[in-house]
Amino acid sequence: MAMPNAELKDNGGGTEPKIGVFVCHCGTNIGGVVDCEKVAKAASTIEGVAVSKDLKYACSDLGQDEIQKAIKEEGLNRIVVASCSPRLHEFTFRNCVEEAGLNPYFMIMVNLREQCSWVHMKEPEDATAKASDLIRMGVERSKLLSSLSPREVAVEPTCLVIGAGIAGIQAALDVAQKGFKTYLVEKEPSIGGHMAQLDKTFPTGDCAICILAPKMVEASRQKNLEILAYSEVVDIDGYVGNFNVKVRMKPRYVDEEKCVGCGVCTEKCPVKVPNEFDVGFGMRKAIYVPFPQAVPLKYTIDAENCRQLQGKKCGACAKACINDAIDYEQQPRDLDLKVGTIIIATGFDTYIPMKKGVYSYWESENVITAMELERLINAAGPTGGHLIRPSDKTEPKRIAFIQCVGSRNHKLGIQHCSRVCCMYAMKNAQIIKEHDPETDIAIYYNDIRAFGKGFEELYHRIRMDYGVEFIRGRPARLTTDPETGNITIRAEETLLAKITERDFDLVVLSVGLLPSQGTMPIQKMLSLPTSPDGFLQELHPKLRPIETAIDGVFICGCAQGPKDIPDSVAQAKATASEASTLMIRSKHVVEPLTASINDELCVGCGLCTDVCPYGAIELQDKDGQIKAVVTEALCHGCGTCAAACPQRAIDQLQFSNRQIMSEISAALSHEKAAGGE
Amino acid sequence: MTTDAKQPNPEFAKKVVEAGGKTLNLCFQCGTCTGSCPSGRQTAFRTRKLVRRAQLGLKDDIMGSDDLWLCTTCFTCYERCPRGVEIVDIIMALRNMSVREGHMAPQHKKIAQLVSKSGHLVNLRDEDKAFRKKLGLRETPPTVLEKPAGLEQVKKICQITGFDKLVAGD
Repeated sequence: MAMPNAELKDNGGGTEPKIGVFVCHCGTNIGGVVDCEKVAKAASTIEGVAVSKDLKYACSDLGQDEIQKAIKEEGLNRIVVASCSPRLHEFTFRNCVEEAGLNPYFMIMVNLREQCSWVHMKEPEDATAKASDLIRMGVERSKLLSSLSPREVAVEPTCLVIGAGIAGIQAALDVAQKGFKTYLVEKEPSIGGHMAQLDKTFPTGDCAICILAPKMVEASRQKNLEILAYSEVVDIDGYVGNFNVKVRMKPRYVDEEKCVGCGVCTEKCPVKVPNEFDVGFGMRKAIYVPFPQAVPLKYTIDAENCRQLQGKKCGACAKACINDAIDYEQQPRDLDLKVGTIIIATGFDTYIPMKKGVYSYWESENVITAMELERLINAAGPTGGHLIRPSDKTEPKRIAFIQCVGSRNHKLGIQHCSRVCCMYAMKNAQIIKEHDPETDIAIYYNDIRAFGKGFEELYHRIRMDYGVEFIRGRPARLTTDPETGNITIRAEETLLAKITERDFDLVVLSVGLLPSQGTMPIQKMLSLPTSPDGFLQELHPKLRPIETAIDGVFICGCAQGPKDIPDSVAQAKATASEASTLMIRSKHVVEPLTASINDELCVGCGLCTDVCPYGAIELQDKDGQIKAVVTEALCHGCGTCAAACPQRAIDQLQFSNRQIMSEISAALSHEKAAGGE
Repeated sequence: MTTDAKQPNPEFAKKVVEAGGKTLNLCFQCGTCTGSCPSGRQTAFRTRKLVRRAQLGLKDDIMGSDDLWLCTTCFTCYERCPRGVEIVDIIMALRNMSVREGHMAPQHKKIAQLVSKSGHLVNLRDEDKAFRKKLGLRETPPTVLEKPAGLEQVKKICQITGFDKLVAGD
């Protein structure tokens, strides 16, 4: 007879355990190695186990039905699912048992796939024995489970988007359009990011700024969307739905309210310095906008190069400004924001070639990076789109591209493929050929990755229609003729096994994409995990590609990994959708698997506050005694504090010291039995 | 498959990895090594091809070939390889395997014999002695040349390890 559900939910810990064990084959993932039937049979003899079954796929509808049926028919009050990692299916099985009337925290998983069958593929007998051990441990722990209730927190209907490249702009636009207040923070004077620097985009050849600028303007006019340019996020605390963010607005030394962007100031400014936006090729004044389409169209004084701000006499811009907008006394200003969701779109930096490297980037003027080329072929760039080489300002007639510079390089510790270099090199080759069909272009490559929509067609086009030469081989050394500035590339053309030395007027390094410098501080503030390549880690590589380990924090664009514009936009839209879902619901359920402190045992030593990676524990005065206190919404249930506590005053719920000891005893009891045989 | 095709032998490739070429399969055949090789400037030696043959386990192509002995172990390829392939280690592993099968370049063999007989790679000639004297050094260096007992020990080591037999013959 089924037990009343209410009683189970309230008093699960006290009831006599009636345990159901379900051993999943996971097709052949587990079943191909572990003898699941035998394991289920062995589990049925453990004290307290009422039902033990093996299932083909426990996660399938059929499998879940079996579990629910057993709960109802046999009155089970503890469920042990021996299948894959809880990361994959814990929610599935929690929901499954909850539907059958059981508190979801009476279900635990034993990992027979990642921790058994996959790692012991070649030892099926030992794997089967280990599976039995793991299940026995899980069964013992399950006896000590208690019922837990998730908590709900309110979600502030405000979103913070960090980084205003194409991904950030798109995400912010989408969230704002859904009616939520949105802040878009950008550290540069203008929004737009790297896309604003590019000439055309692959594979279609759309002009980058022509398709980006309307979005930038739309962002500036969008109701609910507030752009905080020339600003940086300096502090984030709080938790999902309730983040407290401090944004520092750097002084522009120009009153944004008064500046109308007329540009008279810049005409009068006597200081000329290289423009970062043109990667050092073009010049700008000390008071400037980085590019004509800048949003907001407000001028900024670069304090390091401004005469007045460096204590010399000048004041030319202040005299020229008819709106009295120049303010040399302006100070940084901190804004405190309360937001419910955060979207990180902090983008990428391009790889900077090594000093004294074999590609002589720093030694030879005519060896440039792809980003520098973008500015040199851009109609809005310093040369008006007329390609000349840096050393003597002549038109290069022989141009080489070198692929995979700062990508796929184990020596540099950069193992990833940057995913865009093959295509941007081809795109740039096409633009150069269109300007001057007489230019000889060779692309030195290792592998061509033309995998996206329209990519193969571009590859085809530039070989067939434009006659760009593809050389399979990675150059071994570049030497520059000091008189002509020409560069000789020595390489093995591997498809011919022939070593060649060829002369070029200009060499373009197809540099890879790395996590941006701006990502790191944000990653640290939120304790976000990164993948081995250094980019921010998504929660699941396939199924949760834009969520992070921190609830309410989402990632898009190149902050998550190298990608092209369409992928960045698609991902941005996904983050906007996900963040909005959370805000529409207005409440978020927080896992109850937190640390719990026993005040009787706690001596207030504070070790736990030091080791907690999430800042979730504080020392507080409780009736004259100092005790540790956990903020549950911040606690991620990692268990670090419980392990560190010298008083054993901290229990990690569902992994309490008693529960872990019971598992260890179960593991060792087998050893004893084996030894006695 | 035609009978004259060179048969890849994964077992051999595995042996190369075990013998010290653990980074062998990282190679993606970009040719940086070949382009960097000072020996390849003078000869038909193509470092990349040697690594490729090792990846495929083309044993017969490697064992008897001159290529194996054209590397000067200057480590330029090792330094420049973007994949971190320890190319010289692979070549050393291949040489050791080759010698064990009785293939060794005559020049290498002569030098090896000299070591096992005299304890030195290079003989001490009269002009060397004169030069040493001019520099204020002892005419004979304090090695096995000065200590015959030491030379006996070197010979014993060569004998016990089987090195003398390995490099014997013409």
